[in-house]
Amino acid sequence: MIMPVFDTHMILALVGTAIAGGIIGLDRTAVGQFMISQPIVAGPLTGWMLGDAEAGIVIGAALELIWVLDMPIGSFVPANSTISAVSATAIAALGNNGHAPLPVIGFSLLLTTCMVPITMLADSVVRKLNSRLWYIAASGSGEHTGRLLARAHFFGIASFFLKSFALYLMLIPAGIAAIAVFLHFPEYIHRAMSFFVKLLPLLGAALIVRNLSIKIFDIFLLAGFMTAAILGQVFHAPMLVLILTIIGGLLGARYLEEER
Amino acid sequence: MKKNVEGEIGTGDLIVVFLRALLIQASWSFERMQSLGFAYALEPVLKKLYPDRAEYESRLKLHMDYFNTQPYLASFILGATIRLEQDRASGRNAAADVQGLKAALMSPLGALGDSFFWGALKPLSAIVAMALLMTGSLWAPLVFLIIYNSWHLGIRIAVLFRGYASGGNAVELLNWYRFTRVAKRMKVVSLSVLGGFLGVLPFWRPEFKPTLNIPGMLLALAGLAFTLVLIAILQKGSSPVKLMLGLAVFCLVLAYAGVI
Repeated sequence: MIMPVFDTHMILALVGTAIAGGIIGLDRTAVGQFMISQPIVAGPLTGWMLGDAEAGIVIGAALELIWVLDMPIGSFVPANSTISAVSATAIAALGNNGHAPLPVIGFSLLLTTCMVPITMLADSVVRKLNSRLWYIAASGSGEHTGRLLARAHFFGIASFFLKSFALYLMLIPAGIAAIAVFLHFPEYIHRAMSFFVKLLPLLGAALIVRNLSIKIFDIFLLAGFMTAAILGQVFHAPMLVLILTIIGGLLGARYLEEER
Repeated sequence: MKKNVEGEIGTGDLIVVFLRALLIQASWSFERMQSLGFAYALEPVLKKLYPDRAEYESRLKLHMDYFNTQPYLASFILGATIRLEQDRASGRNAAADVQGLKAALMSPLGALGDSFFWGALKPLSAIVAMALLMTGSLWAPLVFLIIYNSWHLGIRIAVLFRGYASGGNAVELLNWYRFTRVAKRMKVVSLSVLGGFLGVLPFWRPEFKPTLNIPGMLLALAGLAFTLVLIAILQKGSSPVKLMLGLAVFCLVLAYAGVI
């Protein structure tokens, strides 16, 4: 059977995910910006809600470094990494009825990557529509000015939520249907998707170095690597090694300041 | 700090403004960006300072003008605006140029905040959390939130009070926090930890550990070499989405050829 079954349980899970994802997504722009919407948090949260926390952790880890430096500067609308993380986790968890295997996770990630332009367009449309809220707020007079302002302002929160909610209701079922087809693909495609997941943190690391350093061979990156690679092999204690790279980085920064 | 007295601004009023400022981007739009959010945060203070409803309306509408800066450092401008509005309302400085102050501060604080919070603190928190997650700690999402928000919330509330106390003296703000210097240190530490993150590749979670039959040190070197190749590709100009799709095609080719 190729098509998945959208029974009552599945529909309830979909609506629940869309509501939760919509609330988590408010953190991106509208409310607080406490970074709950970052993939490393949003992925595991969604996975835990849908009974597959492992899938959420893997998806959050795969996406976090890739999108962490996609910054909302000025009027630039960055890619919506929250929708990518929540959708990919929901597609993997619901499309596989439980513990999603690595190839399914890889394919879910690929699907949500293709959805990025749609989510960016939706984010832009909401921001354009929000321009009308000013006219509502400015139409108030006397004592009611504040009340109308608050109403218009909160309407903005509702529009950000409804945008995410509608996108989840469209993207996740489409993704689940695609997973049902993917399960019948040849074995080599499954292997490719597993390997794709393994390479994503390396792409994330490359994107960060590209943004933080002007050099390909950055001295601090290489020093951190050498410390960790050598001491990691000797002590087999990655946590200790990572603490050493933090201390090494701080000493390096102090050295740079004194040099200047 | 003064207690709440009729017509006077106290700590309680500033806390209300701080809480409302968490929603400064709730109705973000391309046209006037954070204008409604700024006015919404300021509204309770204006209500208190201007008992005459016509004056209150006129001041509130004035603050609905275009406004955009980094959302966390907007609190500094809010604090400074409150001080100037208070001086104006009390007659101590009836000609206070509140709009001029906002216009002068929003661009530099926007650039400063973007580079500190989005460009340095966020990647550092994410890299440390990712390093923990990849080496087996499931507390990583929580660690990410704690690192990020201890800085975010601490600075966000402190700059509101500093802005109010200083009346918008940006030089004092820079002397207090040394954002540029701290951001540089954070970037160096980020690169060092990122190097460490790549160096402990042989200890990564099984989902991300490449299934290549080579010794640990060589595996880490292979990971570094692949990352450097990706950085070189990025230097020539490519988007994350294109690179992710390119990686998927690369994996499909390798799997079809039987390499993986």
